[in-house]
Amino acid sequence: MRMKLGAVLGGLCLAVAGSVSAQSITIPHRQGEVTLDSRPERVVVMDWANVDNLDALGVSILGVPGSNAPEYLSKFRSDDYLKLGSLQEPDVEGIAAADPDLVIVAARSRQSQPQLNRIAPTVDLSIDNDDFIDSVTANITELGEIFGKEDRAAEMNAELRSKVDRLHDAVQGKGRALTLVTSGGKIGVYGPESRTGWLHKEVGFPSVLDDVDDRSDRGDAASYEFILETNPDWIFVVDRDTAIAAEGGQAAAALLDNELVHQTTAWKEGHIVYLDPQKAYIVMNGYQAVSDLLDQVYEAVTADS
Amino acid sequence: MTHPAALPCAILAVVLLAALSLFVGVTDIAPMDVLRGQADARQMQVLLASRVPRTLALVLAGAATAVAGLVMQMIVRNRFVEPSTTGTVESAGLGLLVVTVLAPGMPVMGKMLIASLFALAGTALFMRILRMVPLRDVLLVPLVGIMLGGVIGAVTTFFAYRFDLLASVGAWSMGDFSGVLRGRYELLWLAGALAVAAYAAADRLTLAAMGRDFTTNLGLNYRSTMVLGLIIVSLVSATVLVTVGVIPFLGLIVPNVVSLMIGDNMRRTVPWVAVMGTGFVLICDILGRTIRAPYEIPIATMLGVIGSAAFLFLLLRRRHHAAP
Repeated sequence: MRMKLGAVLGGLCLAVAGSVSAQSITIPHRQGEVTLDSRPERVVVMDWANVDNLDALGVSILGVPGSNAPEYLSKFRSDDYLKLGSLQEPDVEGIAAADPDLVIVAARSRQSQPQLNRIAPTVDLSIDNDDFIDSVTANITELGEIFGKEDRAAEMNAELRSKVDRLHDAVQGKGRALTLVTSGGKIGVYGPESRTGWLHKEVGFPSVLDDVDDRSDRGDAASYEFILETNPDWIFVVDRDTAIAAEGGQAAAALLDNELVHQTTAWKEGHIVYLDPQKAYIVMNGYQAVSDLLDQVYEAVTADS
Repeated sequence: MTHPAALPCAILAVVLLAALSLFVGVTDIAPMDVLRGQADARQMQVLLASRVPRTLALVLAGAATAVAGLVMQMIVRNRFVEPSTTGTVESAGLGLLVVTVLAPGMPVMGKMLIASLFALAGTALFMRILRMVPLRDVLLVPLVGIMLGGVIGAVTTFFAYRFDLLASVGAWSMGDFSGVLRGRYELLWLAGALAVAAYAAADRLTLAAMGRDFTTNLGLNYRSTMVLGLIIVSLVSATVLVTVGVIPFLGLIVPNVVSLMIGDNMRRTVPWVAVMGTGFVLICDILGRTIRAPYEIPIATMLGVIGSAAFLFLLLRRRHHAAP
């Protein structure tokens, strides 16, 4: 009896203390908003871009996707992190068992938000391709606020902005660019509306085309003649197979090594850039990925000037 | 009965389609310029490096796929099958996956051979199942084939998932000629040669289609004729799969249409099947290149849409004239 009373009293004290120290946090996201009673500590992230962001912010993560972990985030492959399903299909039971106080979904897992939200507060931090950099920095700012890392978030965003500005200046007068995606021996083209559209919209690289949308993740199918006719000054290549299988990496280069592509300005000038496929295809919009891709393009563009 | 001039006319139509196919694409090439020798170096290069190979690939793959469908129907003695509904194509895909996992650096010829061996084994398994199960309904045969194909396809998907190769499998299963260039399609000549071999063996295959007893009574080796048919079907499936991917429906529709037109004597039907298969593929590819130009719609999509409509038409038409 006494023990029980003690427990009740203790619980009361804790509850009072809790309600005093914690302020509730409201997080707006792409599919509504959720309210948390306190700063989340057990965080499940079903999207590599946001794992990337939280890692850069220095926030600890409880569980991550069990598939497609990019090389630069390979520490999340270890058993220290719960593996909660694939990038496309979160393991709902596993997430329920992990008892998280915040779940983050985005892009490939965003459709699970309503379902996961019944288990734990779940936010959809997908970005808006139309407003790429703003969207990425908004995510970072939001994560910074949620986890009390506002200063680091501001620092990261400032760095991203300066890299975008630097690249924007560097691409002036460098000609027009085309982004290709290669998959299973076929090529597709990505335009300004696609997942690499920021190269055109934000960085200001003129595109050789303006009417392609990203309705298929392999881009719009195109022939080598198409590349020859559009004759881009720069070709950026996303090797989808390598991104997914993380092996080889010669596939795309071998595909493009043919007599029609040899006629393009991009080939003659050596302006074919193989974007880091995991960062460009799998992660797409995490802080480190974007930062590294901006660097990669900057180095390529300034290499011969 | 068809008019004696019908086949030459059909061949002429397909030659015209092939000529049209040469002049459809992103680069503007005018036929008259080429004939007068006024095309510039770049246009000539596009013509020789991209257009001619693509048209040849369409002709070879179209003819061979349709003929392989016909041969499959002969040896199974069922009108509703083709290599992609009997587990043959799925087995070839599994073989291709096995090579990709175990020996990714293997040359294309080796990959094709392994894929062919798998296709052969898968088709033989299908034949074996057919012999074990007494099938009273003709529609059960394609159903068994589709189920077997489904099982093999599931195994392929499972391992592809495990080895993160789903993307590659997806690409194989989607026939597409956009990547055809000089130096990247020549394997298809083998498929073309196999279609010719089917023509040479047409009489024997026709007999074999009449059953084991009938064939044996006529002094023909039933077993070796069946094996020949199986080899043609498997090799064609594997070469087409490795070079352009799966071309669905073609092997089903074309032989059926031809059979409705001129009957089942293979010596007479093979040329028709080859010509109509070629024409069908050419039309689908030309449309696929035109509808969303300068981008392309893969031939598998075009055939899936046009082919399924044509197949439904065939089925419903047959129902009308059904003579039990």
